[in-house]
Amino acid sequence: MNRRKLLSLLGMSPALLASSQGQAQQAKIAKSGKPPAADDAHWSALNPKGTPPPVRLIPMAPRLDSIHGKTIYLVDTGFMGGGTLLEQMQAWFNTNMPDVKVVFRKKAGPYMEDDPPLWKEIKESGNAAIMAIGH
Amino acid sequence: MGIPSVPLVTKAFKDLAILNAGKRGMPHERICFTPHPVWGKTPEELRVYVDGPDPVTGKPLMKEVVDGLTVPLSDDEKKTGIVSVSVGPPTFTDTAENLQEFYLNNGYTDFMPIVLPTQEKVDAMLKGTSHHPDEVVGKMAAGAYPPWSYTVRHVAASAVMAGCRPEYLPILLAIGSTGIASLFSSTNSFAFSMILNGPIRDKLEFNYGIGALGPFAQANATIGRAWTIMSKNLGNGGIPGDTYLGSVGNNLNYNNVVIAENEEASPWDPFHVQRGFKKEENVVSIFRGLGVVPGQVARGSSVNTSPMFDAQLSDLFSTFTGFFGALVIADPLVAVRLKEQGYDTKQKLIDWLYKNTTQTVKDYKGRNYSYLFEYPQALQGVEPFATWYKLPDDAVIPHFPRASSFNIVVTGGQTNAYPQAANMSYGVSVSIDKWM
Repeated sequence: MNRRKLLSLLGMSPALLASSQGQAQQAKIAKSGKPPAADDAHWSALNPKGTPPPVRLIPMAPRLDSIHGKTIYLVDTGFMGGGTLLEQMQAWFNTNMPDVKVVFRKKAGPYMEDDPPLWKEIKESGNAAIMAIGH
Repeated sequence: MGIPSVPLVTKAFKDLAILNAGKRGMPHERICFTPHPVWGKTPEELRVYVDGPDPVTGKPLMKEVVDGLTVPLSDDEKKTGIVSVSVGPPTFTDTAENLQEFYLNNGYTDFMPIVLPTQEKVDAMLKGTSHHPDEVVGKMAAGAYPPWSYTVRHVAASAVMAGCRPEYLPILLAIGSTGIASLFSSTNSFAFSMILNGPIRDKLEFNYGIGALGPFAQANATIGRAWTIMSKNLGNGGIPGDTYLGSVGNNLNYNNVVIAENEEASPWDPFHVQRGFKKEENVVSIFRGLGVVPGQVARGSSVNTSPMFDAQLSDLFSTFTGFFGALVIADPLVAVRLKEQGYDTKQKLIDWLYKNTTQTVKDYKGRNYSYLFEYPQALQGVEPFATWYKLPDDAVIPHFPRASSFNIVVTGGQTNAYPQAANMSYGVSVSIDKWM
């Protein structure tokens, strides 16, 4: 499934998906694909879903002109195998883009915990980051 | 962070990564994918991943990574503002048969037939509480997602769908107030449990006798089921690939492990009294973990005279992860025997189990949860993990990090002296009376 279809499943308004404002999100209606028989009684039932929070759009950080001569942080979040994968990526940079300075860091704490000191270090000392998430 | 970044995710989590980025405000995040899994692969195998294509786009992975950091942003990627998220209209109208189909096809159910939450039935359910239908009960997320909020009416609708009676509603509101979903996004296929204490067990005719954990009473069956339906509807949990990733899944998720304590037959204080509540208060306590195992498989369980249930339980825990605790589910016959052995309080038994359930450091380090959750804490100096990771491999250490990892509840019909044990940890206890 492509990204647009996936995001439309969230019920997000079109503004989230693209510049075009022309595609209003239609309210979901009961569709079973089977038209009701004329003598069937109609029922009205509550939508049981809770209330999702609105989404505050975050603009992405401006991209680099080039990564040559830049410092790239590779961040291992702690999922099994992620560190080994990033070590291979570091080797790739050393071979193919040797002028890129690659810094390997393992995020502190279990994978679900934040690591503000590392984010601060990356922002102060790095130009970009690649983070391995998952196993 | 304010600098360009690229998340590197394995293909199995494509939908999760895209959807979660969208929910957190970055629907166009430049995510690169590797084949799945990376876990268990050799460095050489992972180098092939790095040199190969992104399995989602088919383009060379490292070109995508570099492009992700350098290609100028599009207008969509620079967008700011707040956008609403729709879950559809407040009601649906159709024939009963079509509505059943619609609720099923839209993931509102546990894929078993439901009672349709008509206005009439929801109104009747709402009579089970004095709280206003529009009162916000809490917020729930099935993992690391932005939480959804919900009202008394939302909880009542899920209660109707599960087949609950109105007098059950306060229990579900109490559970809802914790914000804990019984479906959790982890790949681990977690299971959940609730312990019921207080006079409400008899008032609502909970079964805590023969077959206490089985399908033998409406309260046990439907309240457990309602928690799962609530988790889907109130917290948006249980969507495979999005908010649910359990690889094998867990059959206990159908109605969770509902335990009404057999307070009358127990030789010990009820669970809620241990947690500081009065005996006459009605309380629900929440547990989370991996599952339940039967005591009959323990070493020593074939002994016909003088069974040592303390040692049997300790053996039963040998495969448990210390990350989650151990919840002992003792038939009253087991509990009485343990008291005869000298454990006149639950705490005495807990202290013995903590001291005598051990493992070697080598075995400890080899466990999945030790590596994932406790080794990172050891590096931060968190005890006891920091000390444990410094010990030699043959050193013997406790199997669980602390005595409070153990909990004990008594239930069952005394047809045989069989305990069960859950690799589950205690979460919270909340008052049901507050929601009446």
